[in-house]
Amino acid sequence: MNRLLFYLRVSVCICGLAFLVAPTFAEQVTEDPVERQMLDIAKDLRCTVCQNQPVSESNADLAHDMRNIIREQIKAGKSRQEIIQYFVDRYGDYVLMKPPKSGAGEVVWLAPVVLLAIVGVTGFLFLRHRLRPSLPPPPKLSKEDAARVRAAREQSQT
Amino acid sequence: MLANTVSLNLIELGHFCAYLAMIVALVQGVAPIAAHLLKQPRLAQLSVNASVAVFALTTIGGLSLVHAFVTSNFSVQYVALNSNTLLPIFYKVAALWGGHEGSLYLWVWILTLYTMIVGWHGRKQYPEHLPVILAVEGWLMVGFFGLILFLSNPFTRLFPVPAEGNDLNPLLQDPGMVGHPPMLYLGYVGFSVPFAFAMTALITRWRSELWVGLIRRWALIAWGFLTTGIILGGWWAYYELGWGGYWAWDPVENASFMPWLLGTALVHSITVQDRRRMLHAWNIFLVISTFSLSLLGTFLVRSGVLSSVHAFAVDPGRGAYILAFMTIVLVVSFGIFMVRGRYQEAEEAITSFLSRESLFVWNNVLFLVACASVLLGTLYPLALDALRGEKITVGAPYFNSVMVPIFLAMILLMAVGPLVPWRKANPQRLRSRLLWPAAIGVAVTVGMFLAMPRAHWTGPVAVGFALFALSNLLTDYLRAVAQRRLQLKESFSRAGVKTVLGNRRHYGGMIVHFGIVIITLGLVGSGLFRSETTVTMGPGDVAEVAGERLQFEGVTRFHRENYDTVQGRLTLLNSGREVKPERRTYPRQEAPTTETSIDSTVLRDVYVVMNESNDPNKWAVHVYVNPLVRFIWSGGVIIIGGLFLSLSGRRRARGAEASAAMPEAAQ
Repeated sequence: MNRLLFYLRVSVCICGLAFLVAPTFAEQVTEDPVERQMLDIAKDLRCTVCQNQPVSESNADLAHDMRNIIREQIKAGKSRQEIIQYFVDRYGDYVLMKPPKSGAGEVVWLAPVVLLAIVGVTGFLFLRHRLRPSLPPPPKLSKEDAARVRAAREQSQT
Repeated sequence: MLANTVSLNLIELGHFCAYLAMIVALVQGVAPIAAHLLKQPRLAQLSVNASVAVFALTTIGGLSLVHAFVTSNFSVQYVALNSNTLLPIFYKVAALWGGHEGSLYLWVWILTLYTMIVGWHGRKQYPEHLPVILAVEGWLMVGFFGLILFLSNPFTRLFPVPAEGNDLNPLLQDPGMVGHPPMLYLGYVGFSVPFAFAMTALITRWRSELWVGLIRRWALIAWGFLTTGIILGGWWAYYELGWGGYWAWDPVENASFMPWLLGTALVHSITVQDRRRMLHAWNIFLVISTFSLSLLGTFLVRSGVLSSVHAFAVDPGRGAYILAFMTIVLVVSFGIFMVRGRYQEAEEAITSFLSRESLFVWNNVLFLVACASVLLGTLYPLALDALRGEKITVGAPYFNSVMVPIFLAMILLMAVGPLVPWRKANPQRLRSRLLWPAAIGVAVTVGMFLAMPRAHWTGPVAVGFALFALSNLLTDYLRAVAQRRLQLKESFSRAGVKTVLGNRRHYGGMIVHFGIVIITLGLVGSGLFRSETTVTMGPGDVAEVAGERLQFEGVTRFHRENYDTVQGRLTLLNSGREVKPERRTYPRQEAPTTETSIDSTVLRDVYVVMNESNDPNKWAVHVYVNPLVRFIWSGGVIIIGGLFLSLSGRRRARGAEASAAMPEAAQ
């Protein structure tokens, strides 16, 4: 029992010393630049078996594999555009997180603009249609009537 | 043995009461129709009594389910699928809404509660129209009970009785997740009340000044719950799902966001209808649309059309029923609207393009376009796939590109709107009031552009608009306080408080807008200025990101109530605090789940996720630094506070005297 306690105390002292030493020997780890590049590309690609999740976030096996492929291609020196095209060639536009601006995706990019125009113009027309200034402007007098009014005024002042 | 028998009987009693509830709801729905056809007005009163009975019966059913969960009665199939004996009692109760059948039951339970409250409230206030209102709600209940009892029955028995249940999905074993569905349902179902009023108004040609004030409160309450539910969901997603974000434009998230957008348009346009006696038909249209989207939001999750983190069980029978139910609701409500919608002409007209009513119209334009865009973006890929077999993805990057400019316009409108008076604004006075706040906004935007040249343009613009709005709020308030002090010679603090309490609707709204400003700042900070890094760490390693330095200390392994965990410990060298991310293994689930650990201060969150790496002694640590994330959650709390203040104000007098009575403080 005493021996056990002795060894225990020795171990604690050694660990304590290690604690003092550890910070100075701490290894500053930095991110692997390949990893950063991979995540940057992966966030624009859709995991094809997930619901709207980018490859960078999904835990699916396919996403895992796709991330590995991207890593390999980065190391092989492929450009971002080439890597993305690689996946588009195999999966179609479906693999892009953003729909393409031409073809099937065109509708979804144009629609908000068109909607804003339609609803905005409708709102404007509605306001204009309902616009009634507080008092109607007085009707314009014809020349003869204006002369008559002037004459009557001068007469009443004399 | 006796206890078992009691449990068995209790659940069957609950089941029986649920059937009874459906029948009584049918009576509630039919009573005014019968009264009208048989020329027996007294019959209509049946619906009022029915509403209380339906609530009582539904509650017995609901409590019997809760009892089954609490006693771990696995002879009830739903309990066996969603709970087990090791589950802490809090989650056993919450498991009631952990699955499809139970959450639908919660929905209808809330509906019966709201209906009973409307019935109780309306007995004195609007007794002639009450039966029709309750009838509309009754038909909705019949629809839901039909779905529940015939296609999604939580009372179904399971024999032989398993010794142990499955488990509640670990993702749901969490306080935030427990609160999120009930809050959302309290919101969705809340919009059924304005819907019932609107349908009643169309059917009986009920003049809107008599009921618009009533639905204003219901709409605000529903909106408040929906806002809480959405923010709670975002908060939960943030700390639980481990990707550092809180909103992914997931179709199910969008399903809750669409009624929120229209609901926001609604609470604003109700104010116009209430104050200026115009936009009656438009408001009814908005009410019907908001509720329809609430139904869509409820059902999109269960139709089988989508699958996601939220996915409930898929079943073609249910899908067909839901489609039929929604079609009937849409056809009947919009149909009646098309025929009777213009039953009340606007009594007043717009007097100037530069007026608050006009700006509210622009508010509605923006929110409508926003909602339509989300709807389109969510449904288009499904439609394209169904009709042409082509597959495209409409994901977060698309929604961010489209929605952010609309939000910017909304913030600008929000900044200016409260300063523009009703009817007609004086352009010179308005310009002088906006000058300094606008200067502040421009200065901030330019300053940000100069300080952070690589930031996306939406960041500085959003912050500029937000601070413009904030400055306007402050100057508006201070001006009112100064005016009061001048007239009443009060001290600053007394005048400050009295000003707010004297006009609670206005200042409640201003506080809500303030909350939106705070949320905007939070969204810009955490959305545009987030930093992250992924490194493999062993004990003693230090990682650095965005000025934060974290040292990996080691891992500890231990066991809790219903899972095992590996807990990592990292020290934030800047502050000395620790973060403890975990890898948890639940016995009935196959894959381990991660628990993020977050060090949260007002200015930033340090968000840490830990995964295994190829090296058994090292761990893949993903660190995010999210500036101003707390502003989002705090902004939510501020919004609810503002809502409380607004609702605490006195109701405007109803009836023909409304225009003469209670002139509010000059605004």
